Amino acid sequence: MRKKAIRLSAAARREQNWGWFMVGPTIAGLLILNVWPFIQTLYASFCEHLGFGHYKFIGFENYVNMFQDPDFWKATWNTAYFCILTVPVGLFLSLLVAILLNAKIKGKGFFRSVFFLPMICAPAAVTMVWRWIFNSEYGILNQIFGTHISWITDSKVVMIACAIVAIWSAIGYDAVLLLAGLQNISKSYYEAASIDGAGKVTQFFRITLPMVSPTLFVVLIMRLMASMKVYDLIYMMVEDTNPALTSVQSLMYLFYRESFVAGSRGYGSAIVIWTVLLIGIVTIIQFVGQKKWVNYEI
Amino acid sequence: MRRKPGILAAVLALALLLSLSGCGASDGKTHLTFQIWDVAQRDGMQAMCDAYTAQNPDVVIEVQVTSWSEYWTKLEAAAESNTMPDLFWMHTDQILYYSEFGMLADVTDLFPYEEHYSDISISNATGSDGRMYGVPKDKDNICLVYNREMFDAAGVAYPDESWTWDDLEAASQAIYDATGNYGYMAYNDEQLGYHNFVYQNGGCILTEDKTRGGFDQEATRAAVKYYVGLQGNDWCPNQAYFAETSPGTAFFSEKGAMFLEGSWNLLSEMNNYPDMVGKWDIAVLPAAPDPVSGDGRATISNGLTYATGAHGKNLEVALDVLTYFAGEEAQRIQGESGAAIPAYEGLEETWISAFSKFDYQLDLEAIMSQFDYCVQYVNNAARPKWKSGVVDIMTSIYNGSVDIDTGLDQIQELINTETAKKLADS
Repeated sequence: MRKKAIRLSAAARREQNWGWFMVGPTIAGLLILNVWPFIQTLYASFCEHLGFGHYKFIGFENYVNMFQDPDFWKATWNTAYFCILTVPVGLFLSLLVAILLNAKIKGKGFFRSVFFLPMICAPAAVTMVWRWIFNSEYGILNQIFGTHISWITDSKVVMIACAIVAIWSAIGYDAVLLLAGLQNISKSYYEAASIDGAGKVTQFFRITLPMVSPTLFVVLIMRLMASMKVYDLIYMMVEDTNPALTSVQSLMYLFYRESFVAGSRGYGSAIVIWTVLLIGIVTIIQFVGQKKWVNYEI
Repeated sequence: MRRKPGILAAVLALALLLSLSGCGASDGKTHLTFQIWDVAQRDGMQAMCDAYTAQNPDVVIEVQVTSWSEYWTKLEAAAESNTMPDLFWMHTDQILYYSEFGMLADVTDLFPYEEHYSDISISNATGSDGRMYGVPKDKDNICLVYNREMFDAAGVAYPDESWTWDDLEAASQAIYDATGNYGYMAYNDEQLGYHNFVYQNGGCILTEDKTRGGFDQEATRAAVKYYVGLQGNDWCPNQAYFAETSPGTAFFSEKGAMFLEGSWNLLSEMNNYPDMVGKWDIAVLPAAPDPVSGDGRATISNGLTYATGAHGKNLEVALDVLTYFAGEEAQRIQGESGAAIPAYEGLEETWISAFSKFDYQLDLEAIMSQFDYCVQYVNNAARPKWKSGVVDIMTSIYNGSVDIDTGLDQIQELINTETAKKLADS
């Protein structure tokens, strides 16, 4: 069946024009700041960067080199490992904090501010402090536990150290989002459930979790994307003379070092395209998977 | 009433336009920006600029500091979009790359450099085509910094010209035994580390004509192996330690007795650690005991340059400022501020005078005497392409994931491949 062209009245057309006029700046911004750079990056990934914006087209060479580079596969695994370490634990803790902050406790406002504090600190400053906490010789962490763990130079534990900082920094923000979701749940559900004899645990799994699941889904997507793009934290924690570098180097860190330290921006662009693909695939899987667990019926 | 949004939009647009035009200077003076990366030298640079603007009141120069790690990312982006600062520092690592792409103004004819600058200074400012793209700013070299108290505690004589690597090891062991502190802290670094040892041993990082690496030479390989092997001693921290605590931090918190330091850091270390003044001093680098060639002495000497973009809007004024920077007056101001040793020959004393305010006088003559046998900072046109790769391989050698002979072969191949590619391109 052919769609009929809808004829608009003069007033509706005027309204439509105004609509375009209003969203125009945003669309223009999106095109100039997001879409165009993406196209340029895509093109650059097929080129060798000679210097100062001069590119030479070399076809798939960057991708061929990339897939043969053990550092690249290591970085891909590191990124996945970082997500595995930070996302589930981070989500669980944020939900826990959100539920606690939603309870009737004294000084709720104070605790909410405290948990949100890491968000308003500059990530670079936060990481510097954590580096001192983790310092194997003089750090407070080893002092307290009487251990001698090389948190940021031992290739086996360095990722865990980074994950701890990442989770710590993100909990406050995620908890605030989840808190908003929790507060949207009508009290009457809980009252009805209590009358029917449902315990706190049953209430959590039957009421709270399903009702907060849309927010949880948004937080999950955001956190996973942020974790796949992790760069600043690792860059600040681990310098390039750190012997544990290859055990913690994420895709974005590798991209930075290839593009801006080694100057191979074509190769760096190929890494970016690969990361975009990965994030895209993971996000699609999540959107398909959400049908199984996210509840949009109120 | 329907016209109102249109009028509003027009007013807003006008306001926007006005605010944009407000960015331009309205005082009729030429405003120049001067980008540097070392915050410790800001005052010295500002003093030079002030001296220039006092003679040229129609010029205003603003000194901006960007940290070293972001400096090159920023400058390259600026070069691509033709928005380079009017004046900026150039480093030996980058000058060939920038000049090759025509980003830097030719400054060869601004000043009779040969009369007042050393060959190394001029060479550090020269592009692959033999023209000069920077005005020599300063010169530096690497010295041995040592903790006098720890030497006294161990009953070891202070380092002097007679020292060799063997003395370095013996003193380190004695200090470790007597005080429990680290001896010489052999840090994985090029300029402040193994490059010095390589040249002392008669080896080289690049061959004389700069077309090949020197990592296939026995002298080079032996020196790197020796240097890497130092961290196997009890008295030397390993690289994991340095990843958390830089050798300078360890030294000034009295955890280690010796490390290699660049002359450019000495003044700020005197300023920043007032409690340590008098407890430490400097000496010439220890010599190779059994060099393959040469007398065993060497230190890496580098020098920065002042440069300006080839297509700058204020090129003429910027070149005039550079001419002033090349002259004796500006170089003297730089030296007296303690910023760095002037590249201008005969003004070395001005830098030494900047240290006279301290109660304890460092043996700065050690730095001066090392200029007689210093080696020019390693550089060729492909260096930006291989530098980070070499650092990565050295890290792998240090953490044991690559066997040292294999690693040295990889470094040699990397340098040769990238250099050959560069030569073929140009």
